[in-house]
Amino acid sequence: MSTAVDILFNSLVLGGVFLIVAIGLNIIYGLSRVMNLAHGSLYAVGAYASVTLMSFGANFFVALVIAPFIVAFIGLVLERTIIAPVRKRSIVYTLILTYGLMFLLDGLIRYIWGNEPRFVKLPLFLQDTLPILGTHYPVYRLATLVIIAATMVALMLFLEKTKTGITLRAASTIPEMVSCLGINMKLVHIGAFVLGCGMAGIAGVVAGPLYSVDPTMGHEMLISSFVVIVIGGLGSLRGAVFAALLIGLVQTLAEFFVTDLAMVIVYMLMAIILAFMPRGLLGEGRFE
Amino acid sequence: MKRVLLIVVIVAMAFVFSANASAANPVKIGVLVPLTGIVAQGGLEMKYGIEMAAKEKGTILGRPIELVVEDTQIKPDVAVSKAEKLVFKDNCVSLIGVFSSGVGLAIAKNIDRLKVPFLTTHVMTTAFYGIHKWVFRSGQLANDQTAVGNIKGILARPDLKDRTYYVIVHDYAWGHDAGKRFIELAKQSGIKIYNENFDKAPTSTKDWSSYISKIKASGADGIYIAFITNVIPVFAKQASDFGLQKTSKIVSAAAPGPVELEEGGEACYGIFGASDWSWDVNTPVSDAWEKKFWETYKTIPSDAAVHSYVGAMNLFNGIEKAGSTNPDKIADALRGISFDGPYGTVRISAFDNCMRNDAVLTETMAAPPNQFGAKVVMKVLHTFKAEELGPPEK
Repeated sequence: MSTAVDILFNSLVLGGVFLIVAIGLNIIYGLSRVMNLAHGSLYAVGAYASVTLMSFGANFFVALVIAPFIVAFIGLVLERTIIAPVRKRSIVYTLILTYGLMFLLDGLIRYIWGNEPRFVKLPLFLQDTLPILGTHYPVYRLATLVIIAATMVALMLFLEKTKTGITLRAASTIPEMVSCLGINMKLVHIGAFVLGCGMAGIAGVVAGPLYSVDPTMGHEMLISSFVVIVIGGLGSLRGAVFAALLIGLVQTLAEFFVTDLAMVIVYMLMAIILAFMPRGLLGEGRFE
Repeated sequence: MKRVLLIVVIVAMAFVFSANASAANPVKIGVLVPLTGIVAQGGLEMKYGIEMAAKEKGTILGRPIELVVEDTQIKPDVAVSKAEKLVFKDNCVSLIGVFSSGVGLAIAKNIDRLKVPFLTTHVMTTAFYGIHKWVFRSGQLANDQTAVGNIKGILARPDLKDRTYYVIVHDYAWGHDAGKRFIELAKQSGIKIYNENFDKAPTSTKDWSSYISKIKASGADGIYIAFITNVIPVFAKQASDFGLQKTSKIVSAAAPGPVELEEGGEACYGIFGASDWSWDVNTPVSDAWEKKFWETYKTIPSDAAVHSYVGAMNLFNGIEKAGSTNPDKIADALRGISFDGPYGTVRISAFDNCMRNDAVLTETMAAPPNQFGAKVVMKVLHTFKAEELGPPEK
């Protein structure tokens, strides 16, 4: 029983982190048609920003609020200076540009913060374990689930209930119509990119204390979040939720029961879904 | 008479110019270390150790030493192409360094083509014993030596002896070899192993929670890990988050990096392991070396740095002894050479081209006040004589 509880929570936490990163990637692709290969690096920047804020005395929760804004601001600068000039060209241009950007950001991370892994110092009450259904589970991991759920609720409320959110959603499906209504598509693209980067920042701050903060942390996360958006359907937010939870569960179970083949199973699952459900689990994916 | 004088002057000038040219013509050594990727910190420390040795040695064969450093990115294909560049383009007379067994084996496989001696300061796989006449190891203990040290350590300590060990390794050549060596010896010594078909985790693993849950579920109260040094504190920290250290002891096949131990803090207390050296080794030579390293690099001296330093000194002295940069002559000179450094005499066996040296069993714990301001120390519990660790030279 205690092992089953461990596995369930582990898969939810892993899936939750995948979800926040993948949703950010999906928002950027769905609304501004940019496949952002630097997204993993922005996730790492979020984690490092929280480490720096905390080294200056900020507590974890303050860092959780401020660091995503820092990443969002970096996203704004990148969008205006690097992405916007080539937006009207083929998606291959932004693909190559963001690939280069990934190396640039990775190099800057090493230059600023060094190579060694950093560990995030949490408040004492988050460092303990909690007896729950026969197991002792880390409090911070449980808190992570709350943070991820709150982030998703806030995002959904923003997209469903606010005028800006509704505009963004409309722009993702019928951009020409939205443009004809006099809505500034440039602002939509900027907003989408900044929002997506902010999500990467949130995920980085949340993941820092779970794992560790190191310059390579974004690489694996980028690959995993691509797996999530492929399985969920490119551009589908609802699909990403299901896919992230599925991948979290499959990877955790595979690591537990067939350790040596865990990642093989995850990629096989992706290949099967891609072959038989090319528009993702819910059939909502958009391919160009 | 004038003609004779002119010839004498020309010959003398030619002699002076050739001597100057020789002095200015450095002996180039190719340094292969990972400076990017998961083990970049370890690679940097290796580079520091080799640089320190070059500075101390000054010249070889009356010529300055020039280190040409290349980043292997811990990828065998990249490392081989960097080695080709170092040998064929930069004219390096020897190669040194290499962090991982996979990379080391790739270089060794290509050594006939590269045609220079290669001395590794970090590769631990047992496959390196007598692998090639031009391939040497003078650095970190090999997997069999570490396993012997760890088994002896476990048997000597009542708090480690009667435990059942869960074995988990990084999924590449070194990890597999380290796991196998430990399990073989443990079985011979009556130490209980939970999973003889041990777990192999990808080197890219960031989230260890599934593995930790698996260890919890197994009921094993000892964990034998063979992880890349920089990852050890990451695993220990996550195990600590789950409260695993309250019931289990960790024994490691590699020494954790001190910089990473500092980051991990208290979560990294209680990791046992055999290694060449720790800054807790208190001998005049070791203390002087630590002081010099700290003053130069402002980095806590690590075993990656110290065995790279010792390996480089052995290589430089070997070239000097050879009196030439001919690969066969250097290789002949390296066989049987020794250097007295921070962890005693390190001798390269003439039998299998791999070093023999004393080693220590350490446990990580809170550090006493020290010049580095370190909070965690690998406390020396016991010193092993080289003969205890083997392997036999016959």
